[in-house]
Amino acid sequence: MHLQPDELVDLAEGTRTESSVPHLAACAACRNQLAELKAMMSAAADVAVPEPSPLFWDHFSARVREAVAAEGMPRRSFWSWPRLAMPMAVAAIAGVILAVASHTGPETRPGPPAVGATPAVASIELLSDPQSPDDDTALTLVAELSSDMDLDGAREAGLAGGGSAEHAVTHLDGGELRELRRLLQEELARSGA
Amino acid sequence: MPAADRALADLDERRLVEACLGGQSGAFDLIVERHRRSVYLLCYRFVSNHEDASDLSQEVFLRAYRGLRSFRGQSSLATWLYRIGVNVCLNRVSAKKLQSESIEDRQFVDERAESAPERLMKNERGARVRAAIAQLPRKQRATLVLRMYHEMSHQEIADVLGSSVGAVKANFFHALGNLKKLLGDEVF
Repeated sequence: MHLQPDELVDLAEGTRTESSVPHLAACAACRNQLAELKAMMSAAADVAVPEPSPLFWDHFSARVREAVAAEGMPRRSFWSWPRLAMPMAVAAIAGVILAVASHTGPETRPGPPAVGATPAVASIELLSDPQSPDDDTALTLVAELSSDMDLDGAREAGLAGGGSAEHAVTHLDGGELRELRRLLQEELARSGA
Repeated sequence: MPAADRALADLDERRLVEACLGGQSGAFDLIVERHRRSVYLLCYRFVSNHEDASDLSQEVFLRAYRGLRSFRGQSSLATWLYRIGVNVCLNRVSAKKLQSESIEDRQFVDERAESAPERLMKNERGARVRAAIAQLPRKQRATLVLRMYHEMSHQEIADVLGSSVGAVKANFFHALGNLKKLLGDEVF
């Protein structure tokens, strides 16, 4: 049986001695193959890469510096990123929505909606109903959606500024909360939810 | 050289990376300066032309910068950069048919010491071998380049390419065999 590729490579690279392979002495085909391997390695080794000029290196470093400057600071790695921050922030926003909705709930829950009743209110009621299983469903949905978010990708795409979600949750004053509530109601009414 | 740059120059690789992550200007410049030549040579071996090698080298450093926080110092910075370089080159090679340059195209190449006829013949021979290497299948090319020109062990190549030592040796064997077929007897 002829020598295998890995054996021939070991012989050509000198990590195995030819004397340790008795087959070689008896097989002209393997000897020829080994000779060809050595010749090709020698031919390939003799090929130098044209050396760029010193001027090129200056230009190259400048180009890299510009490209890096456009990047900003190196990003956090996957594991060092507080990956729960965004889902928690989204969940907190959902909490704010629920709180706003539950605040309005009792005023807008008198029995079945009359003709022309605002759909937005009905929707908010549904979310705010402590008896409704949809509470958990909505939160679960928010958590699932947010847990799949590619945070770095979103930031790169300009979809989220640094800390914007956290900021939205933690820095709303009373007036802003009222405005948020009004906007949510408007939006829900417009979408017919 | 300013005192801050001198202080950076004394840092080992890991601390240089930390300095870079800490926002010290000049730290990444130093990394680029130390490794740009080897990265460029790696890229050139893959694409056989200056323009693409230059673009790919820049891409390697940009990716390295983006992923700098993932460098743990378990391998050398050079090996880590090679790994990025091989991935960048293999992706580019598969996405684009690259052209080997003619000698006339190498306008950036310093050939002041290459005027002797032997040197010209050697250049011609080298150009043919590089063109042949550029025609090898991706993994064979990567294996040949890393083994022949960057003195990486079979195990290191296996790590970079995500394969086994046996597969690396087989790829190397077939790369040399294909090189022989592509070149015939013209380089001997």
